[in-house]
Amino acid sequence: MSVIAPNFKLSEFIKSILDNAFWILLILALIGIPAVQVILFYIEMPVINGELLTPFLALTWIADPSRTLPIIKAFMTTDLFRIAAFPGFGFAALLAAGTIFVERKMLAKLQLRVGPFYCGKIEGILQLMGDGLKLISKEIIIPAKADKPIFWAAPVLFVATAAAFVALIPVAPGWVVADLDVGLLAVFAIIGFFPIITILSAWAANSKFPFIGGIRALFQMVSFEIPLILSLLGAVILTGTLNLSEIAASQSSFPWIIFLPIGAIVFFVTMLAELERIPFDLPEAESEIVAGWLTELSGMMYGLVQLGTYLKLYAFAALFVVIFLGGFNGPMLWPPFPEEIITEGIELGPVTAQIPGLPVFSQEVLNGILMFVLKTVGVIFFILLPRGVFPRIRVDLLLDLGWKKLIGLAFVNIFIALGLLYAGILGPGGII
Amino acid sequence: MSAESEKETVEKKTENPKPTADKNPKKPDVVPPTAKKTIPPKVATKEEPELPAFEKGIGDKITEKFGEKTTITFVKPDRVGIKVGRENIHEVAEFARDVLNYDHVDSVAGVDYPADKEIEVVYHLSSYTDPSLSRQILEIATRAQREEDPIPGNDATKLPSLRDIFYSVEFHEREVFEMLGVFFEGHPDNRRLLLPEDWADLPPLRKDFRNKGR
Amino acid sequence: MSTPTLPPGLAIQKADERIMTLNVGPQHPGSGHMRIIVQIDGDYIVACDPDPGYVHRGEEKMAEYRNYVLNIPHLERPVIHDSCNILYPYVLGVEELLGLEVSERAKYVRVIASELNRCVYTMYWLAIYGIFLGHSTMFMWPAGDRELLIDLLEKMTGARVTHSYFIPGGIRNDLPANFEDVCLRQVNYFEKRIKEYADIFYDNPILISRTEKTGILTRENAIRLGTTGSVLRASGIDYDVRKKEPYDVYDELDFQTNVLKSGDSYARSKIPWLDMMESCRIIRDALQKMPKSGSVRVKLKPNPKGAIGSVYKRVESGRGALGCYIVSDKKAEPYRVKLSVPSFRNLIALPHLLIGEKLGNMPSVYWSLNYWPVEADR
Repeated sequence: MSVIAPNFKLSEFIKSILDNAFWILLILALIGIPAVQVILFYIEMPVINGELLTPFLALTWIADPSRTLPIIKAFMTTDLFRIAAFPGFGFAALLAAGTIFVERKMLAKLQLRVGPFYCGKIEGILQLMGDGLKLISKEIIIPAKADKPIFWAAPVLFVATAAAFVALIPVAPGWVVADLDVGLLAVFAIIGFFPIITILSAWAANSKFPFIGGIRALFQMVSFEIPLILSLLGAVILTGTLNLSEIAASQSSFPWIIFLPIGAIVFFVTMLAELERIPFDLPEAESEIVAGWLTELSGMMYGLVQLGTYLKLYAFAALFVVIFLGGFNGPMLWPPFPEEIITEGIELGPVTAQIPGLPVFSQEVLNGILMFVLKTVGVIFFILLPRGVFPRIRVDLLLDLGWKKLIGLAFVNIFIALGLLYAGILGPGGII
Repeated sequence: MSAESEKETVEKKTENPKPTADKNPKKPDVVPPTAKKTIPPKVATKEEPELPAFEKGIGDKITEKFGEKTTITFVKPDRVGIKVGRENIHEVAEFARDVLNYDHVDSVAGVDYPADKEIEVVYHLSSYTDPSLSRQILEIATRAQREEDPIPGNDATKLPSLRDIFYSVEFHEREVFEMLGVFFEGHPDNRRLLLPEDWADLPPLRKDFRNKGR
Repeated sequence: MSTPTLPPGLAIQKADERIMTLNVGPQHPGSGHMRIIVQIDGDYIVACDPDPGYVHRGEEKMAEYRNYVLNIPHLERPVIHDSCNILYPYVLGVEELLGLEVSERAKYVRVIASELNRCVYTMYWLAIYGIFLGHSTMFMWPAGDRELLIDLLEKMTGARVTHSYFIPGGIRNDLPANFEDVCLRQVNYFEKRIKEYADIFYDNPILISRTEKTGILTRENAIRLGTTGSVLRASGIDYDVRKKEPYDVYDELDFQTNVLKSGDSYARSKIPWLDMMESCRIIRDALQKMPKSGSVRVKLKPNPKGAIGSVYKRVESGRGALGCYIVSDKKAEPYRVKLSVPSFRNLIALPHLLIGEKLGNMPSVYWSLNYWPVEADR
């Protein structure tokens, strides 16, 4: 018999499962479905197959395959889906989760160890989920003398700001949450929020190590924002627009990194600093100031900040891809959707299923997503790589680098862009 | 096998001129009355072996300079031990630094002798700069009065500090102060070092402080 | 004269608004088991007060209650990674007090164990130096490569870290069969491996820019403060107890000491690494010159009583000269055992190096002192 549960009986176990299932179904039938029906009367319904979907027919998509895809497609055009799922938060969070897994395993291989190994059986793939559960179940401890409203708000603000940054990234043609004409300016504005949130959180904690970490973060982010902005202006000069989708679309024949390698290098370095990644992880330098501005955060507050950090990492990598690597442009690798499924349907033995609403995504969009993800993953890989190679830099060397070297290089980059523009080689009306 | 190696070691011992036995070079004729009982200096029962010349020279220099104020307790290969009263320790240390070229202190050890009502503080001097002294350790021992009920810092258990001569004694003297209650006059920073801040018991290396259960 | 009972944390606080007092440690990822009270003005350290003693265990007091042999397992506790070396002066001293002669083979085995232990300690130290500088690869590599030597020591002594291998009159047990070949192979691989550290760590431009010209200990200060070991040799003073006052068979072995002139934390961190290569050389040489057989220990009487007298012995440990002062009063227990540990002697230099430095330099300067908090506390 099992030692852990000596009174275990299989019959009772099955009975308890059936009990639970019964109660769940009962509550769903009595409360859940009526509630959904009530809600459906109040929201706007899409038009499916030429007729307006009524609340009475709304739940039939569960059983009727001819309604399933059109309803999903109708849902995909809503703002809610774009913000929460595909080009927005959910997609970015998924990529961020992948980033964390790759970071752990890659760093482990660099350092001659195995990394996460047991959780999830296959190479510790569920380790992140375990960590998340652990963080959620932990107690949140607030320092007694903290400024509580600001301290509580800071992690949420951090994630929200990172998600706002993510919303500006065009993932595929037409697939962007907020397609702004001043997209790049919005990016600069949003990046400007991070040091404020950091210093607010650090100050509100009313503790010494977070304070020093916050001050360091402020120094670092402010001094690297200027070369960051300057390094992106080269691409703006050549494209003549601030809209990120248009900047991405303008690189259909060649990415800007070919003409602006200096800008790309400057942007990459400033990106590492803005992300507080090694070798620029001074605000969280553990051997000097414990965990920097994260010292007093506990439980899910810390988890939120980590989530925000990785969202930010994804967003910066994506921005690099959009501005310098051509975004969603690239060779057509995705196979075209088989036409006969649309015309003839799918034959399943005696039954031939005609599924209206296919394809969900067009070939161009899918290929754009593929190109974008491939490039982003590559950039993220290069962001992760220095962690295994470099020690931490010191704050005076860091500021030296930011103010003296990178700003100069960024100006060189702008001059190159201007030269190319006025020589008539590139830009609006250029020969290429 | 073992017999062979035994023989080897015996041979090695004979060809090595340095004897391991520790002998008193000259029996101090005037021993301070309090130092009689437990002082380690040796019992010269065996025949006197030949003393290492260099080490004896160091001892002679000190005796020549200070005469009756110091006592040579032993001369061993690479080790010279002298004993100084507390009033002369400062100038002897100064002499060791300036004339004998000892430039730092390896270790400061406090030893409690409750039977003599004294606490001995032993400085081990060594030298980095003088190549001829690189093997040598000069052991300067001095004694402070011991109190039955010590109030560390505010009783008669006091010695002059050597920090102004050998800077390297700084932490060692702090350690001796907290472990044995010897206050070093002239030490600028006579604070606790290793013991917890709320330690209110006897200085723990005194012999009357007993470990629990022992 | 200040009142001596004032707790250390309160003694140096001033009512200056510009100054912030930071308690770095004892539970801080950048301090080890000790506390450094630093006061910073902006990013500059203006005052520093090291406060060891968090893991003080009273080893010296405990040694007065146990006989000469029973003292061995607990006297090695201050530095379990370097346990052979911290026992070495004690064992040498007890041998002199008891009048024991050690066989030639035992001396060579002691040297091999001592050098292996020095490498094990230095690898551990190097790993922590790496993580103090935020270089996590440099934490993992030495911690992994250290296992090679730990395996060797386990073969020799039966224990991975706390060996209790040296006893008065020799070593506890002879080497296992075929040890020489295994040892030679592993040491050769180990040497090849540590040479690779130059690429990722010692030649790393960020490391050099961070540690060069920081925390400079001049030659005069190194002598005046009585520092020892790698700190001393990084300041340009060629002093190694193994060379200057050879114990056991070090005078018959072929090795050299490493000296650097600059005295900054880069030099201080490089010396132990260079020393490891010398250790590999010593081990190879000792394996070659070692008598292939012979007794390795002298049979001791139960409760041996030391001759009246005192003895002070020094060895070169992984951190520097380690002295042991034993006073005996013709009893089975020593009257007083004093360990003069290199960590404690090097700690005195910390305030001199840190004042005027930036806060970011604190971990690198502090750990470049080759300091082991537990050893300093004893």
